[in-house]
Amino acid sequence: MELQKFSYDNRMTRNFAIATIVWGVVGLAAGLLIALQIFIPSLNFGLEFTTFGRTRPVHTNAVIFAFVGNAIFTAVYYSLQRLLKTRIYSTLLSKIHFWGWQSIIVAAAVTLLAGFTTGKEYAELEWPIDIAITLIWVVFGWNMFGTILTRRTSHIYVSIWFYIATWVTIAVLHIVNSLAVPVSLFKSYTLYAGVQDALVQWWYGHNAVAFFLTTPFLGLMYYFVPKVSGRPVYSYKLSIVHFWSLIFLYIWAGPHHLLYSSLPDWLQALGTTFSVMLIAPSWGGMINGLLTLRGAWDKVRRDPILKMFVVGITAYGMSTFEGPLLSFKTVNAISHFTDWTIGHVHIGALGWNGMLTFGMIYWLIPRLYNTKLYSTKLANVHFWIATLAIVFYAIPLYIGGITQALMWKQFTPDGFLMYPNFLETVAQLIPMYMIRAFGGALYNIGFIILVYNIYKTIKAGSFVAEEEVEAPAMEVLPAGKVQSESGHRFLERKPIRFLIFATVAILIGGIVEVIPTYLIKSNIPTISSVKPYTPLELQGRDIYVKEGCYNCHSQMVRPFRSETERYGEYSKAGESVYDHPFQFGSKRTGPDLAREGVKTGKMYKPNSWHYNHFIDPQKMNEASIMPKYPWLAKKEIDIQSTPGKIHALKILGVPYPDNYELKAIDDLKAQADDIAKDLAIAGIKTDSNREIIALIAYMQRLGVDISNKPATK
Amino acid sequence: MHTTDDKPIKDQEDIHQEVDDVTQIKYFGGHEYDGIKELDNPLPPWLKYVFYVTIIISISYMILLVVFKDDGIIQKKEYSKEMVAARAKTEVESKAEEAKAATAAPLTQDQIKAAGKVVYDKICIVCHGKFGEGLVGPNFTDDYWINGGRPEDLLKIINEGVIDKGMLSYRSQLNKTQINHVIAYILSLQGTNPPNPKAQQGVKFVK
Repeated sequence: MELQKFSYDNRMTRNFAIATIVWGVVGLAAGLLIALQIFIPSLNFGLEFTTFGRTRPVHTNAVIFAFVGNAIFTAVYYSLQRLLKTRIYSTLLSKIHFWGWQSIIVAAAVTLLAGFTTGKEYAELEWPIDIAITLIWVVFGWNMFGTILTRRTSHIYVSIWFYIATWVTIAVLHIVNSLAVPVSLFKSYTLYAGVQDALVQWWYGHNAVAFFLTTPFLGLMYYFVPKVSGRPVYSYKLSIVHFWSLIFLYIWAGPHHLLYSSLPDWLQALGTTFSVMLIAPSWGGMINGLLTLRGAWDKVRRDPILKMFVVGITAYGMSTFEGPLLSFKTVNAISHFTDWTIGHVHIGALGWNGMLTFGMIYWLIPRLYNTKLYSTKLANVHFWIATLAIVFYAIPLYIGGITQALMWKQFTPDGFLMYPNFLETVAQLIPMYMIRAFGGALYNIGFIILVYNIYKTIKAGSFVAEEEVEAPAMEVLPAGKVQSESGHRFLERKPIRFLIFATVAILIGGIVEVIPTYLIKSNIPTISSVKPYTPLELQGRDIYVKEGCYNCHSQMVRPFRSETERYGEYSKAGESVYDHPFQFGSKRTGPDLAREGVKTGKMYKPNSWHYNHFIDPQKMNEASIMPKYPWLAKKEIDIQSTPGKIHALKILGVPYPDNYELKAIDDLKAQADDIAKDLAIAGIKTDSNREIIALIAYMQRLGVDISNKPATK
Repeated sequence: MHTTDDKPIKDQEDIHQEVDDVTQIKYFGGHEYDGIKELDNPLPPWLKYVFYVTIIISISYMILLVVFKDDGIIQKKEYSKEMVAARAKTEVESKAEEAKAATAAPLTQDQIKAAGKVVYDKICIVCHGKFGEGLVGPNFTDDYWINGGRPEDLLKIINEGVIDKGMLSYRSQLNKTQINHVIAYILSLQGTNPPNPKAQQGVKFVK
């Protein structure tokens, strides 16, 4: 057969690899910063931009979309060309993809620190950036499918199945979850409200884990583990079964983030059951990864890259077992809102994503630069430091999470909460937070060793931009031959059909779960006493979102005695129908605020308390780990934005009266004046146009509506 | 997954017959991607069984929920059950505690104050300050009181709250003994001189 000469383009692989390293440094450093801020709140240096509520989204976005994202593209741009025996489809599209993605990351970091956020976890970026992401994602897909369609191999390898599923699912998730009505360039209200928003958001959030942190990395694993070890993949059949079952089942499991919330029972049950069914498909990936190393274990002992792969894949197995475990309602009753979840996700992030990325970089860079790795010994040191770091990171959070949950639930024989003051349970965690930060610091140190090692490697080598190769053209088989192939082999020949099947597989779960909450009224029982926010409360709510309060405070009283005794009546679905976005939260570093405003409730505090507490939480309780927010008393409410906000919410169906836009500013000022007067009585002098006034108004509204009238059953 | 019974193409046949020399397991036919081969191993049986079992568990769970509307799964019912059980348990346990307290030797004044301080540090401290000097709430160390400074006044305030001023009712968070203890502790703060005392509020209280 005649061989065709062509070359692989290594430039984009190199660029994405370097971007992975650069953003890795940033993302990990941000992680260490927030790990320290959580027990040293003054580490925001008095700046609004660097408070935990804003730096935590920077950390999560940097690590997920910048570090892991670029690692994915590194793997795709390298393996795709080689698996398909063809050059990447378009150099121009590659460049647009690369520079577009990096610009998005920079824009993300800047806007998040500035406080422009949608308030939806892992989807915080505002609408202009969301549009940019969509466009760049299309460019990526175009380039990838262009390459697939101009391939020289007849079939597509399992790595590429995973890349295809990743591409289509992330596109669907991102677009659906980001739909919003813009108010201004940097403010929008999500299309969904309350429980529906929570459902869409966690369908997105959970599957961002599945299709951004998992499936592309399985593709990466299927390429690099056999390449580095020189061993064949353990089982082709297993790869088919676990691929399809994984992508079909994963999409259903989102509601497990909302167990014992105001989400309807049937949806919670789907979240639990589909998570449990995911154990075997997930472990299929782990088994295929680990057993590929059969016959190469002596090599594993010597090679730090393979060691990293082994720890990474094992971490994947652990976290995909723990995930279903956390989806059992009995376990989730304890784990949810605690640091247990943080420990869980970091086994995945530090272990699976981190270790696989490190291994890939150590293997790839010397090949791109036609040289040897500068120091295998240093890579080995990195391996041990990183492994140790994971242990130091995760174990204290497991201990801390369980300890705190048990304290929350502890009652005295008289039937009172043993620890009615939330802060008592926080104080227990401080030593654990310190050890966790130590683990995080170790992980950072390991990464700096990688940076040095790679820097020296690059300096010693010379970059091979074009890798000359030759391969025969794709065979055109006689029609009869194609027919005789088994179903899946046939599909592997037809990437577009493959894409369509994968799309169908991932759409079913989402459609079954999301659409009924719109069509069937009984899913969200309405409560007649629940009214839209006043203009001042709305502005306060937007400040709450902007400052990222949801990163530490939940607004979801779960139906447990320990929660209703501490916070008050448990949260109902009908209460959040005007919440764009929902603010249920996912972690209680501070107490739940869902009933904060209920005057006869257990959480109520006067305006003056809130004022003093925002300015200086430690003055109210010296053990508090909340940062100080003095700028709230200085910055003025953006009053002029009020009519636009009311208008946007009216478009979304929030029932403000006709032409309320015209009256909104007057109402806002009147309510603000009342609060300022009340503060003056308590001896606090402040102008009524300050942000703190709006935020206090919002605090005093939280959870109030339902107690105005007896709750509808 | 069955392979073709037809005549495979030539090079596919070659690879088809190859066997991995380490594990002696056959390669799956026709596969090689950038040097990566795949073995023709079946799925590990135990993994298949795990999969089947999780599917059966899941279906059974959904049946319990949707068809039988099981009390342990519907969270509203589960909550009511938890509350009923807790009330019954508390009734028994609090009686036992009372009985124990009745037979125990009475506490000394110092012990009462110490017990009161524990409660104070958990709850009152947030608004009245570490030393009772007053923050948002009034100062306990001077002899000015807004709603009266007799023990029975304090009892009423703690039980019912002064909602408009931001003082909550603590009846549902503290038992009678704890309330008595904390009153004793608060009254013992009278006349102390903490740093940063809050200005006098209310009227001078004459004993």
